[in-house]
Amino acid sequence: MRTFSLAAVGPAEIQAARAQNPKAFGDPLRRALVIGSWAVIGAYLAYSLWLFEFYKLFQASDNALRMITRMFVWQDMDTWMYDQIYVGIAQTIAMAFLGTLLATILALFIAFAAARNTMPMWLPRQATRRVLDVLRGVDQVIWGLVFVRAVGLGPLAGVLAIFVSDTGTLAKLYSEAIENIDKKQVEGVRSTGADGARTIRFGIIPQILPVFISLSLYSFESSTRSATILGLVGAGGVGMVIIERFRAGLFDQVAFVVINVLVVIALIDWISSKIRRRFIGERGH
Amino acid sequence: MGTRGSVFVEAEPSNPREDVMLEFKALTKRFNDKVAVEDVSLTIPQGQMVGIIGRSGAGKSTLLRMINRLADPSGGELLHKGVDVAKLKGAELRAWRSNCAMVFQQFNLVGRLNVITNVMTGRLHEHGFLSAMLQMFSAQERAFAIRALDRLGMAHTALQQTDTLSGGQMQRVAIARALVQEPEILLADEPIASLDPLNAKLVMDALRAINTEDGLTVICNLHTLDTARAYCDRIIGMQAGRVVFDGAAHELTDAAAREIYGAEAGEAFQEGLTSTSLGGHTRPAPTMPQPARAAVG
Amino acid sequence: MAGSMTTSTLGSSAAGGPQAHDAVALFEAHRAALIRQKMWTNILFLVLFLAMLAWSIDVSRFFPERLAQGIPRIFEYFGTILPNLEWDKLFLPRGEDGRAVPGSLTFWYSDFTKYVTLIFETILMAITATILGAAAAFALCFPAARNLSPNGVVGTLCRRVLEICRGVPEILYALVLVFAVGIGPLAGVLAIAIHTAGALGKLFAEVNENASMRPVDGIRAVGGTWFEEIRYGIVPQVLPNFASYALLRFEINVRASSIVGFVGAGGIGQELNHVISFFSDDRVLAVLILIVLTVTIIDLISERVRHAFIGRENLT
Repeated sequence: MRTFSLAAVGPAEIQAARAQNPKAFGDPLRRALVIGSWAVIGAYLAYSLWLFEFYKLFQASDNALRMITRMFVWQDMDTWMYDQIYVGIAQTIAMAFLGTLLATILALFIAFAAARNTMPMWLPRQATRRVLDVLRGVDQVIWGLVFVRAVGLGPLAGVLAIFVSDTGTLAKLYSEAIENIDKKQVEGVRSTGADGARTIRFGIIPQILPVFISLSLYSFESSTRSATILGLVGAGGVGMVIIERFRAGLFDQVAFVVINVLVVIALIDWISSKIRRRFIGERGH
Repeated sequence: MGTRGSVFVEAEPSNPREDVMLEFKALTKRFNDKVAVEDVSLTIPQGQMVGIIGRSGAGKSTLLRMINRLADPSGGELLHKGVDVAKLKGAELRAWRSNCAMVFQQFNLVGRLNVITNVMTGRLHEHGFLSAMLQMFSAQERAFAIRALDRLGMAHTALQQTDTLSGGQMQRVAIARALVQEPEILLADEPIASLDPLNAKLVMDALRAINTEDGLTVICNLHTLDTARAYCDRIIGMQAGRVVFDGAAHELTDAAAREIYGAEAGEAFQEGLTSTSLGGHTRPAPTMPQPARAAVG
Repeated sequence: MAGSMTTSTLGSSAAGGPQAHDAVALFEAHRAALIRQKMWTNILFLVLFLAMLAWSIDVSRFFPERLAQGIPRIFEYFGTILPNLEWDKLFLPRGEDGRAVPGSLTFWYSDFTKYVTLIFETILMAITATILGAAAAFALCFPAARNLSPNGVVGTLCRRVLEICRGVPEILYALVLVFAVGIGPLAGVLAIAIHTAGALGKLFAEVNENASMRPVDGIRAVGGTWFEEIRYGIVPQVLPNFASYALLRFEINVRASSIVGFVGAGGIGQELNHVISFFSDDRVLAVLILIVLTVTIIDLISERVRHAFIGRENLT
């Protein structure tokens, strides 16, 4: 009954269709390219996993199993020295807060030197930007390690590490916010006869202030996360608690501390987003 | 083809009438407490071209989507060769869907794939997991897809990325995809609602030609009255989820149409007026649109 | 409060009758209430802020005398890690006995080949971890997307797994994995891969949730399975975004793989930790410069690639 069916497509029809539209039957070059790139990825993975001694994953089952069981079976919970844990967590938050605050203050000044519209001279602007690149390019943990070496173990090194790397990030983001201000609003204020200070107060600050607050709050959130890690290199906070107990083989306590940290971080994110909304409204970053 | 037949043949034939394609028995669809389709009972014979008309929100779309089970009925039966397709699940449901092709108002093509791959997705039901994931279509399927495109005058676009096409072209590609499914039934949900009059005519002509040349049962939701009158053997009018008219095109009087459309009557008739180029009350000769040779050349 | 003065002068000059005056008075009353309310919340925030500040200074023992002690030591330390370069000897090669001349670049970078090997390892770690993590994220992001998950339980399960993966920082995973599989790059690769799977999985799932469902409907209507709906309906739409996110993640992972070495998980970080902790000399700066250079170059290349093959699609 049906005249238009797959079964009715014989070799002759295939030939005809291929003649009419050769590329529709698969481009051999393209196919070779696709197969080739998958082969390259596969070969690379095989090579790198061999290089990284992947087989160790299967030999390690004993140690790993012991650790994982310890993480889930919590023992002697009354001897865990909770005050130390919560002081560590508090210290982490305090480090993040101070570091971000100091970074915010310094970045406020640097940002104007790195923005094109407030620093028209090429050389100082580029110099500022390159310095900021270096501050950001070195990871916060590396800064932590350097400052631990310089000022000794403890939260001061952590505050300094957060301060330095956040200055790099915030100054860059602030300068972008300054570059993105709406010129028309500034002109509008100037057209009412305002002098320079008033132009900045009513034309520029209302535009950039909400963005700055939002960026600093974000930076505070991310610093709380990274401040946890800073302790691993000795720069204070809960990370030091984690690594001490890990080295002592107290895996159940490590698991407990990590869970606590995760809860606290989630809480801070939540509060911070509430404040952001309060100050900036829904459209905030 | 064999697999598809077997799914339905094995089931117990409770309705042995050969010429009946679909039988609706009190089919109902409720969204929470709102009734979209209420108690629809119809019999659609093999090879008929059916137009469903009604104002927007009358339940046309839901009815159509229930047929190939993009929407699940809340009650009633939908019989195809004695099998209640409203209760199909898993592989049988997918087999039914592939037997019951669908064309959408917004085409529902994959914009970032080329045209011929889009058409060949109509063959997916016949493919295993691996060949489907790796897009391994046979030369026979490719030739078939090109022939389908050629029938709709779209073969020259086979290798274009689909989202570079115009709306009318996309709808023709969508019909080609439906064709390579080799279905028994073709459902079209407002196929011309987002097209200009010329493309609307091309698409409706193609649907009509598929109905007459290939013997497919075509069920088509249409907003404008004149299009339905011009192309369909039978018109079903829906209002507030119920069937309020069921008869041949010439039986649909203006009074009956006004009742179906209610407050939207003016709009429906006016659209009808502006699209008199679609053939008015005289049925056009059903032909496939000719391939745009000049464009190919 | 310059604004309120302007408004009131404007109001009184324009006030034609008692009605207009009432409107102005009403407006002023509302405005005063609003300002008062806002002022109180602002004062509250200020007090909270100051309390937080005092508490932070106390908890982290950020006291002036400690600062006064610490700050000079920072400059002292940075003085010690500066290389001792002398202009006239700068480009002198190694002597006949194989020793480099103090004050030359060769002396400063006497372990250059070792550093380069480690940096190479670091980059390989980042690439492998990105591939593994992105593959895992790709597998999980479809069931985790709310519009695509085959059923609620599977979707919730996938989202929870991704949350756990990205909630814990790489270096913590590295610490644990070093204990499990031993010191070396394998632990670092796995740690970064796990974190990458979580971070990318969330982003991928969000891309999926923003994808158009029309092609999915189309594939479902031809009788496609769930896998076919994803393969044909979603993947072509989201792939450019996935690639862009994966490349961005690769840039982050280069940084990560340069620090997981601090806990023994391979890469240049292990060497950096070593030179910082045991020496106080120009080697620290030598390694740091190499790391910054590597990170910067990789960022530049990756940015180029992203723009080249994703280009305008991502901008729209």
